[in-house]
Amino acid sequence: MTSRHLPTFLAGLLVSAVLATPGAAAAALDRAALVAGLCGNAGQMFEAAAALTATAATGSDEDRAWALALPRALIEKTLACDAAGAVLGNGSLDAVSRAVREPAPDARAPVLSLKNRAVFEQADAALALRSAPGAGARAAALRMLERRPAVLPEGLLDAAAAAESDPALKAQIVGLAQTAALNASDPAARLRAIGRIADNPSRRALAQMTELTHDPAYAANAEFRAAIDAATRRIERGIAMGDVLAALYNGLSFASILFMAAIGLAIIFGLMGVINLAQGELIMIGAYVTWMVQQGLRIVAPALLDWYLILAIPVAFVVTAAIGIALEALLLRHLYKRPLMSLLATWAVSLFLVNLVRVVFGTQNMQFETPFYVSGGVPVIGDFIFTWNRMFAIAFAVVTLALTWAIVRRTPLGLNIRAVTQNRDMAACIGIPTRRVDMMTFGLGSGLAGLAGLALSPIYSVNPQMGQNFIIDSFMVVVLGGVGTIAGTVVAALGIGQINVLIEPLWGAVAAKVIVLLMIIAFLQWRPEGLFAVRGRRK
Amino acid sequence: MVKFTRRSFLQASGVAAAGLASPVGMPALLRSAQAQSGPVKLGCLFSSSGTMANLEGRLNYVVKMAADEINAKGGVNGRTLDVLVSDPASDWPLYAQTAKQMLQQEKVSALFGCWTSVSRKTVLPVVEQEKGLLYYPLHFEGDENSKNVVYVNSPPASSVLPAVDYLMSEEGVSAKRFFMLGSDYVWPRTINKQLKGYWKSKGIPESAWKEEYVPFGFSNFQTLVNQIRAFADQGGGQPVVVLTVVGNSIPDFMREFANQGILATDIPVLGLDMVEADLEGLDTSKLVGHLNCWAYLQNAKGPANEAFLKNWAGYVTAKNVPFKGDVSIDPMVSAYDSVHLWAMAAQKAGSFEVPEVSKAFAGLSFDCPSGYKIAMTGENNYVSRGVFIGSVNDKQGFDILWQSKDTPKPVPFSPYG
Repeated sequence: MTSRHLPTFLAGLLVSAVLATPGAAAAALDRAALVAGLCGNAGQMFEAAAALTATAATGSDEDRAWALALPRALIEKTLACDAAGAVLGNGSLDAVSRAVREPAPDARAPVLSLKNRAVFEQADAALALRSAPGAGARAAALRMLERRPAVLPEGLLDAAAAAESDPALKAQIVGLAQTAALNASDPAARLRAIGRIADNPSRRALAQMTELTHDPAYAANAEFRAAIDAATRRIERGIAMGDVLAALYNGLSFASILFMAAIGLAIIFGLMGVINLAQGELIMIGAYVTWMVQQGLRIVAPALLDWYLILAIPVAFVVTAAIGIALEALLLRHLYKRPLMSLLATWAVSLFLVNLVRVVFGTQNMQFETPFYVSGGVPVIGDFIFTWNRMFAIAFAVVTLALTWAIVRRTPLGLNIRAVTQNRDMAACIGIPTRRVDMMTFGLGSGLAGLAGLALSPIYSVNPQMGQNFIIDSFMVVVLGGVGTIAGTVVAALGIGQINVLIEPLWGAVAAKVIVLLMIIAFLQWRPEGLFAVRGRRK
Repeated sequence: MVKFTRRSFLQASGVAAAGLASPVGMPALLRSAQAQSGPVKLGCLFSSSGTMANLEGRLNYVVKMAADEINAKGGVNGRTLDVLVSDPASDWPLYAQTAKQMLQQEKVSALFGCWTSVSRKTVLPVVEQEKGLLYYPLHFEGDENSKNVVYVNSPPASSVLPAVDYLMSEEGVSAKRFFMLGSDYVWPRTINKQLKGYWKSKGIPESAWKEEYVPFGFSNFQTLVNQIRAFADQGGGQPVVVLTVVGNSIPDFMREFANQGILATDIPVLGLDMVEADLEGLDTSKLVGHLNCWAYLQNAKGPANEAFLKNWAGYVTAKNVPFKGDVSIDPMVSAYDSVHLWAMAAQKAGSFEVPEVSKAFAGLSFDCPSGYKIAMTGENNYVSRGVFIGSVNDKQGFDILWQSKDTPKPVPFSPYG
């Protein structure tokens, strides 16, 4: 038994001893001591947490119900300690007697050290698993306990499984109990535990298996050795698969960001040859519009707040498209014959927009709600975690791609855009209103930038400077892909994203950036028109 | 015949007068007579635009607030203080240019400025050449001791090492393995070099750490967080992340870290440049427990801090400052201390000349809002400060997890580098 388990064990003994003696007086005394421990120094708090975990494993129903609120109150800093004990913040209940009382004015909320935070998280999860009324809360508690199966008090999971009413959850608890039995004395339980661990391959599981090869049973018992070796092979396969999937997913997610940032630019650059340096700022404005929609919903319809990312889609598109159209009509229209001037003008617009936003909103990062569909992730296999905010960006990029493609290929506007892109003068000759097409295209490209801002807000910090990070990357994608082609933008974004992600773990993020730039330069030497060149007569 | 008109006579005599007067130092006399009466100029080198704007921008206002406080008490040596603000736009060479302009044209008596070490390094030759005085309010990598710079915040020996010691102790998390992740410039690289030397001196093997750098402004941390998880799962003891990325990389990293489901109790992050302002806009409920270390935290106890927070909140409302009145970070307090330390030195010296002011450093002490009495010894231009270790709470702030008993003596040059 390690020193870490010792207090748990002793406290367990203590609690069971107290429970064995009938009478409420003894139990009440124990409660006061425990609360005093919660308000004590770091060492006393550690012991109190161990006592709480032991209560979860072996305590009576009343004690568990009493203890349930305590670790959570400590974690959330709602426990106010004063001379007379402690008060649970919500509802002002005395921590020991649960009678209503106000905390003393000099009450303090103890701060958990990192070490104690871990044991209190465990105590909280252990108590919740036994006593939380909702199955959802118990399932969440089980997930927390899964993080450190080795330090669970004995009997906790068995007792929890016996009392569990939800069959699916019960099976999970039994599974975790079997996993936790890795170092049990029963050889059959150990073999079962090895199989269980191999079911969820990860580097941690592999480390556990490697440790077991030093176990005396590994040399002595052929069956045990075979089980370990088989499990190690399974885990290694799982890790390899997880690594491949993770690299693909990371590459895809980076590619989706690059694509979103570049697609608007590709259309504008392709059609008009205008290098729009304000594109990054349109992304930023899209993100700020998303924020304003969120704030609006907070006032008008708080129930829909979680869906602000979806509801903001049309708003972000329309606002940034309108800015784009205004920009084209007021400024760029007069500069088509002077491309250098239009570059400088858009740069001026970019500076103007950054400073306008800075004056109106300030320089700080904007506060976004994190709806459930973009928070957290699901472990899939090995070390591969499927994170929802990245998935949101990928899905968003795919939908944007489909819509853009449909507009350019399937609508009269798209037909005009393609005609003007191929040969402006000829298009004008056959009666296409090229000026109007320019304006609409600029609006479309700007609107797409606004959507990019929306899709990026759950991933990146939103502040006035955010757009400047994207402008270089998006030009890289557009130039590599071949000016003005959607397919080129997609392929270039996928390529740059994937190559970046593959290089990063090998030589670091700095080298990845340099190598990708060198590769692009080399490629453009060989093929200056990019991956996909637009056929047609260009100026 | 030479026409001798009234006009040409006046011109000629004027030139003659100027020619005669200049050798005896007439313009110099004029200038010093002027300077004796007007306010004393102080210069700020903090960016109001670019990547550092959100952090550095607020320091301009703190310096002004401190100067206002001193002016309200009658100024220094009978003269009031006038704060000049510039905008080096987060562009490192521009810091040097702005500093030169302020010293040569504006003749400022002292400069207060720089956040990143790279900006300080560009300003350093300028202040040394122009014999100016720069107050630098950030904790930094040490290994520098210019007589023209006052290092108001702590070198690693009195900030980073105590925090790492805490993490390695039984009371902390008994950390055994370290993942160092930083932005690619002088501060993270020097800090990590010193940390490696420190761990070597403690007998920790080289296999127990890993070092990665990202470019400035990097935000796509997916792969790096994967690497951190893989590093942690190799086993071999409690892993921690020593984070020295700066600017917007901090919130972007923390967001990805939380999204991949890692809690502070699994792998704690020690964010060496992480301040309250970096947590604005983040859902900190999943980040509770991560650490930082500074010479001041907003939750510091004591009347000096209460007064500072009240003054700042009042100043923000009164002057319509575009920053939050209820957020106070270490560099703000250090900038505030800087102005007071300078004023005390100038008062003690009875002069605003840099050599005189520098001579007055020995024995200065000031009641810092952190609750410590900070002091200068005269041995070097470092200021001894207290040490705080903070823990992220769910209100986008930091709780004080640990603080030093007193102010450790600053060690400019690390023995571990």
